[in-house]
Amino acid sequence: MSQNLKVILTAGLWKRIPPFRLVLGLCPALAITTSVENGLGMGLALAFVVTMSGGIISSLRNIIPAKVRIASYIVIIATLVSIVEILMKAYFFPLSEQLGIYIPLIVVNCIVLGRAEGFASKNPPLPSMVDGVSIGLGYTLSLTIIGSIREILGAGSWFGIPVFGEFFEPLSFMVSAPGAFVTIGVLLGLQNLFSRWRGEKFVQG
Amino acid sequence: MSEIVRMVIVLSMIAGSCSAVLTMADQGLAPRIEKQTDLYVRGPALERLFGKPAKEVLNNKVLVEVDGVEIPVFYIKNGKKVSTLAIEAIGKGGYGGDLKLMIGIDLDSGNQTGLEVVSHSETPGLGARIEEVRFRQQWQGLPIDKKVALTANGGVIDAISGATATSKAAVGGTNEALMLLQNYRDAILKSISALEEKS
Repeated sequence: MSQNLKVILTAGLWKRIPPFRLVLGLCPALAITTSVENGLGMGLALAFVVTMSGGIISSLRNIIPAKVRIASYIVIIATLVSIVEILMKAYFFPLSEQLGIYIPLIVVNCIVLGRAEGFASKNPPLPSMVDGVSIGLGYTLSLTIIGSIREILGAGSWFGIPVFGEFFEPLSFMVSAPGAFVTIGVLLGLQNLFSRWRGEKFVQG
Repeated sequence: MSEIVRMVIVLSMIAGSCSAVLTMADQGLAPRIEKQTDLYVRGPALERLFGKPAKEVLNNKVLVEVDGVEIPVFYIKNGKKVSTLAIEAIGKGGYGGDLKLMIGIDLDSGNQTGLEVVSHSETPGLGARIEEVRFRQQWQGLPIDKKVALTANGGVIDAISGATATSKAAVGGTNEALMLLQNYRDAILKSISALEEKS
């Protein structure tokens, strides 16, 4: 059992790490990763939602009738997202202004719904929550890395602290939309290359 | 039939408990959110109007109820007397929606101390130029007992070129704040002294 949980926990950090392996949740990954802080905040918000929704949905999985399951999932996820939004406004106001519409949009984030439908609806609460933690941490990790690359190259700082001297000319290309596509594409390519080199079997998506 | 009934019941129960949780969260955290909004949204405008750190003035807030709408009024004191007020006003009819303004009022000299924009959704480069000091500084030193108006209407305010709607909204908002001051001056001062006694 604990062996099994360990497999689930590590899966989200490499084997199905979003957004690279899962190729879901790309929209916020592209849009808000202009700085590390935003990436980290967004990742943690999603981690909370996916963990809690995993737990709640899997404990209700035998009660919810199959025909209305998607509607029920959406109601539960929307509630959790609204709670995150309220909490963020109350405790991290500047961050919530920065993330703006992307926090409410977690409701329709495919990762959350995908894990609810693909995992939580078929497994008991504990593995579902572990799966949520793993996916959430994986997403946080990815967004932090993407955010770091874009902020360091695009603004010459990390968490707002300058890392280069005065001579550094920031590549403003990196903090605009094309920079996001290039960063994610390169990272995805590197991960695939590494997996191939190690002879890992993987299925994209 | 029983399956349909079950679906209805389950979905209603889920929706019901979700709304209960949300109502609780909203009610519980509303005062904190209001404080944060004051600090981060109104704070910068107040800092510029009063020339003091936002934390010092944010607690000096009274609400004036006009026709069922609560209008926030901030103040600072000079010694024991209330010296300056900042009245929040809504500038209706901006190009991208209503403007949220803050009008500074010096009670000692009877002049306005300036116009600050709390939030707006005007077009960048046109209406958004309302944030520029050059436009806003026209308010400094205007008397509080006379309505402001654009130069086109015989007043002294030069409109932002290409953004007449925005300029009109700013002027309209100011006039509303001045009306509020005229009609509710005693009520405002009363609630300020009530607040001072409490603390």
